[in-house]
Amino acid sequence: MRNRRGFLAGLLAASLTPRLSWADAGAPALLSAGRAPDGAYFLYGVSHQGAPTFRIPIPDRGHAAAAHPDRPVAVAFARRPGRFAVVLNCVTGAEIARLSAPEGRHFYGHGMFSPDGATLFTTENDFEAGEGRIGLWDATAGYRRMGEVSSAGVGPHEMRLMPDDRTLVVANGGVETHPDSGRAKLNLPVMQPNLAYLSLDGAVLEVVQMPPEHRQNSIRHLDVSGDGLVAFAMQWQGEETELRPVLGLHKRGAAPRAVPGSEIEMRAMNGYGGSVAFFDGGAQVAVSSPRGGRVQLSNVTTGRIAQSVEIEDVCGLGLLGGRLLTSSGTGQLQWIDGASLSRARIAWDNHLIPINAG
Amino acid sequence: MIRILLFPLFLAGMAWADTGNDILDTHVLPGFDRLEARTQTLSAMADADCSMASAPLRGAFTDAVKAWTAVSHMRFGPTEAENRDFALAFWPDTRGMTPKALTGLIVTEDQAVSDSAAFAEVSVAARGLYALEYLLFDERITTTGTAEYRCSLIRAIAADGARLARDMAADWHDRYAALMRSPAPGGTYQSEAEVLQEFFKALGTGLQMTAELRLGRPLGTYDKPRSTRAEMWRSGLSLDLVRTALTSQRELALLLAQGDEQLQTELAAKFDLALEAASRIDDPTLAGVTSPSRRIRIEALQQRVNEIREAVAKDLGPKLGVSAGFNSLDGD
Repeated sequence: MRNRRGFLAGLLAASLTPRLSWADAGAPALLSAGRAPDGAYFLYGVSHQGAPTFRIPIPDRGHAAAAHPDRPVAVAFARRPGRFAVVLNCVTGAEIARLSAPEGRHFYGHGMFSPDGATLFTTENDFEAGEGRIGLWDATAGYRRMGEVSSAGVGPHEMRLMPDDRTLVVANGGVETHPDSGRAKLNLPVMQPNLAYLSLDGAVLEVVQMPPEHRQNSIRHLDVSGDGLVAFAMQWQGEETELRPVLGLHKRGAAPRAVPGSEIEMRAMNGYGGSVAFFDGGAQVAVSSPRGGRVQLSNVTTGRIAQSVEIEDVCGLGLLGGRLLTSSGTGQLQWIDGASLSRARIAWDNHLIPINAG
Repeated sequence: MIRILLFPLFLAGMAWADTGNDILDTHVLPGFDRLEARTQTLSAMADADCSMASAPLRGAFTDAVKAWTAVSHMRFGPTEAENRDFALAFWPDTRGMTPKALTGLIVTEDQAVSDSAAFAEVSVAARGLYALEYLLFDERITTTGTAEYRCSLIRAIAADGARLARDMAADWHDRYAALMRSPAPGGTYQSEAEVLQEFFKALGTGLQMTAELRLGRPLGTYDKPRSTRAEMWRSGLSLDLVRTALTSQRELALLLAQGDEQLQTELAAKFDLALEAASRIDDPTLAGVTSPSRRIRIEALQQRVNEIREAVAKDLGPKLGVSAGFNSLDGD
């Protein structure tokens, strides 16, 4: 019954919204989940000036979001192990649909639309099998579940579209969890993260792993440059004294490589990469570490850490007007050069999602 | 004037250093010494009599498992170096790898059992205390293959476990304790505060393990309880290990709260409530998760442990300068 009502609501919303564009939602440049001063959780639209253009309540702490390519529709994902994702009309604030993870699945907090906006992809955990899935939802028909494909790994987290618009790249973190065991990591001794390239219909095109010494370096977050270079942020699950870079780069057909720096620079990130983003036209890449309270910038050509910027509780990274913007749990939206864009009493959650509205 | 201003800071620094040293000297190092001693005894007992029904062997097994549980939250540094922790304690085994790996060794009569160096290369799933539990208590494994081979395997696992525990203890004494006693910029620990934060994190991890794994795994959901996911249910130690873990973590929490009597009292009371809730459960294997009336007590215990976790995060964390960052503490 609930499904049917959701289906009808979706149809209704879909039939009412085609003429609306992101401009009708106050032309936000970015989306971010966040916590308001009263402790309630919202999905926010953020303007070019760094001010909220809208906020829509979500049931629990969010993580990331997906923005529809042309319609003012956003999907807010629960923090893992989340059972909900909410599809929101960013003009009216109405809930268009609520996606419930199917039996035996939970969301990982990330998802994305196909280039034509017709399909929503979500990273999911098949927790009895301990295998990663990509859920497919029909955005043209009330977000009906269309099916799922293997993520070609364990613990898929963020995924992105490659510049060819036909290939997905998925960060399979390698860490197995089960909702009955909270967020406890169940397979550290045997974990194996990877970066998987899939066609939009789920064919596995290429799977790459880092060298064995990185087996416990969980690949979680991604960005892709215009020429198809993939940057991935990692989280070290091994021994504390061992030093592992938090950033890696991969070009299809070649071997993935880590982006190292001096011991002091690497220690400062606490083995924890939070978000990753290319900037400077793809010549540089930034990776944030909320645990280290800093963002490190690396040159793509040299493949080494070039600069470090300290920002308390920073995590989100996103391009705004071609410049790199950071968000943090302290409410700060700050340009990477140090200038503040805005400060609000909103704890910005892990990720900034650019809206690429035409 | 400057001297007066600096003096309290200096004192605070000393107090933190004292706390770190006290934790090492009264909690960590004795804990690993005990683990070394108990696993040595276990290995000696296995050498003396390797039959699964041997009471001294089973007693030594219980003592070794408890000694491990009492330090299992100290899962960093020497404990996890060279994957020692997984080799000594492969749990939870979510994919049933331990019985598979053991069966593989037994049916092929793998000769790694006769050479300690070769055995150290065997899959971690077939090594350590949790694998030994299968060989002493599991209906199927204790009847697979020949008694003679199983005996060699029991002895090999016990000897390997004793070596792992000896390596952990030696590494804690000879390397890591010194590293934690003298934090310095550019080092693994850059300040006294970071040392205490490491112990704070260990306390949180230990409590999380108790709430989410030791209790959470068998509880599963109300509609789908999972009694055979309890830790060490075959040997009937499940509830006992919850108690052992809480008792040890109580000690660590009070050490971390040192110098703040009110906080110590609060934390002690919370731990005591949980231990009391555990004492009301007459169910060593936690099999009662499937019975509504017995399940409620196990859920109550889990709730008490979660209350300790809240108090630790809310009251102990700030005292130790652990930032309550929205993102830095989230982790995803």
